[in-house]
Amino acid sequence: MGDIVTVDGLAKRFGDLVAVDHVSFSIAEGEIFGLLGPNGAGKTTTISMISCLIDPTEGDASVAGSSIRSEPLAVKRALGVVPQEIALYPTLSAAENLAFWGRMYGLSGAELKHAVDDALELAGLADRAKERVEEYSGGMKRRINIAAGVLHKPQVLLMDEPTVGIDPQSRNHILETVKELNEAGVTVLYTSHYMEEVEFLCDRIAIMDHGRIIAMGTLNELRDVVGGMDVITVSVENVSDDVLEQVRASEGITKADRSDGGLTVLTASSGSVLGKLVATLESEGAHVTSVTVAEPDLESVFLHLTGKSLRD
Amino acid sequence: MAKLLHIAAKDFKIVARDKAAFLILLGMPLALIFILGSALGGVGESESVDIAVAIVDVDEGSSGADFAERITEVEDLQALFNMEVRSDAEAVRAEVERGDLTAALVLPSDFSERLDAGEPVTLEVLQDPGSEIAAGIWSGVARAAAANLSAGQVIRVTVADALAGAGVPAGAQDEQTGGHDHEIELDAVVVEEAEVDTDTRVGMIDFYAAGQTAMFLLFGSMFGAFTFVKERREQTLARALTTPTSKFQIVGGKSLGILGVAAGQFLVLYIGTMLIFRVDWGNAPAATVVVGIAEAWAATGLGMALAALGKTERSIGGIGPAVIMLFGAVGGSMIPAEFMPAWMAPIQSVSPSYWALESFLGLMRGEAASTVIGPVAILLGIGAALYAFGVWRLRYE
Repeated sequence: MGDIVTVDGLAKRFGDLVAVDHVSFSIAEGEIFGLLGPNGAGKTTTISMISCLIDPTEGDASVAGSSIRSEPLAVKRALGVVPQEIALYPTLSAAENLAFWGRMYGLSGAELKHAVDDALELAGLADRAKERVEEYSGGMKRRINIAAGVLHKPQVLLMDEPTVGIDPQSRNHILETVKELNEAGVTVLYTSHYMEEVEFLCDRIAIMDHGRIIAMGTLNELRDVVGGMDVITVSVENVSDDVLEQVRASEGITKADRSDGGLTVLTASSGSVLGKLVATLESEGAHVTSVTVAEPDLESVFLHLTGKSLRD
Repeated sequence: MAKLLHIAAKDFKIVARDKAAFLILLGMPLALIFILGSALGGVGESESVDIAVAIVDVDEGSSGADFAERITEVEDLQALFNMEVRSDAEAVRAEVERGDLTAALVLPSDFSERLDAGEPVTLEVLQDPGSEIAAGIWSGVARAAAANLSAGQVIRVTVADALAGAGVPAGAQDEQTGGHDHEIELDAVVVEEAEVDTDTRVGMIDFYAAGQTAMFLLFGSMFGAFTFVKERREQTLARALTTPTSKFQIVGGKSLGILGVAAGQFLVLYIGTMLIFRVDWGNAPAATVVVGIAEAWAATGLGMALAALGKTERSIGGIGPAVIMLFGAVGGSMIPAEFMPAWMAPIQSVSPSYWALESFLGLMRGEAASTVIGPVAILLGIGAALYAFGVWRLRYE
């Protein structure tokens, strides 16, 4: 399959701030491509440029053979966009919202009606189609938000952190929906700062930080970046800056940083490091509740490349 | 064009479902029209005391002066009316037309001659239709005086006939009756009411219907601006920009939505005030609607300007009412514009409320429909200028 999205040296500056710094990648037709990075890494700005919402300062991108600079309308016709915000009209019903967005993509008549019905089925909300969106739960709003981006059956779907702030059940529904859409032939560019989502969904992944792509490849290729290392995750309370520095300075520890509920440590010799690590933490008054040793994941890749946790 | 209409229809639907918008755009003006129109309804008609009236005596004989004197000397009438006897009929007619005089009683030049001949005499009462009650009282006075005169005539004729039956010589009868030989007529003197060809005066309820409509139409602009800012905040504007829809279509559609809201609001207030308060908007409904639509366009321009100036709904909620109330106040929506000091004229000239209200009131007074052409052109110009500024300064993200 050929590339359906090509990004070539895209850059965006807002005054002195470099939001995106000469990013290049391509997405093959039928692929799910992930952009992984912490908040502020430049993922949304990259998607905004590809969707022709903002103009790039430098570089270009093409979608389905059309340039975002010279043929923005053709690009927009090929794209479906699911923004990070729930971009819906709260006082209109789900069906009214979908019909409106369908019309914005040029649908009308029976075609529009079928598209709305299909999108409601996809969201699992056909039985609540006439309720106002403001009466929906957060997860239901997210599902309609996605439905509004796909009802015109785009070639490429851009999804910007579509699972932010929702319950696990709705998140699973959304992830399954993305898989279904992809199996139906839709190419997906998916951004997230949740590595589990990206690992679950994406064929290839680009890791972004400070506006740059710092690593790119399949999940296994990225794991190889930290090849031979283990990830030790310690559930611990009260890790002070001094303790963190002590851990980082310990022999055999490659990288260490705080993570959700504790500490993540990257090491090539987990057997010898583990005991000393726990002893160091407890001697400094930190209360260790659990320790796990695992194969490297994207979190450890990010830690290895940047020296900080993905969720910093 | 289809997308433009879809965007406008969506915005219209959103505003129509907004209870606060419904209250401000329709509830508030109707309530204010009722309260202000009812509270100040008597003030504009000045019928309590000192009603200016005239008796026009152009009689070539002496009976006219006697008749006028009999009316003007009645103390009760002096307490109620400011009466003067005049001989310049055309000038008096003009004064009634202008509303300077509430009414006038006109005695014809052959008043004495016809009375002496025993022929019926017709008196004319000129009335200002804008002071219906006061003019009606004067008309009643004229009828009562005419009835007295008629009764005198009857007595004279009856006595003359009796004297003739008793064999009194005609010459002697003449000394007693004035020497006439004719049938008794109980309506020897009749009063005929005449409406002068004048501008219709506008009652207070009519004034406030026009005034509040002219002011509250601009509030539609505020809700239009709200939709822009809300769409920016909720990212629906950004989402629309990622669809194959041009900025021209998006801005045009949203502008059409504001225009639709303001035009719909005008039609509801126009028809509603006619049905609820019996407001008389004049005899040129098409011209009135044209003025309303022209002000709705000015409101659209104002909405775009507010959307460009305000970053948040709160800031628009602060700027919008201040600008609209200022336009409304100097435009005469609360107090008639002619009471405003001269230095306010420059502000009046850029107030859409002023031009709309002047046009509405003119049409209510019976002015020709063509008189609104100038104000409508000015309203369209103000709307275009505000719209251009709004489009120039509008932020999409």
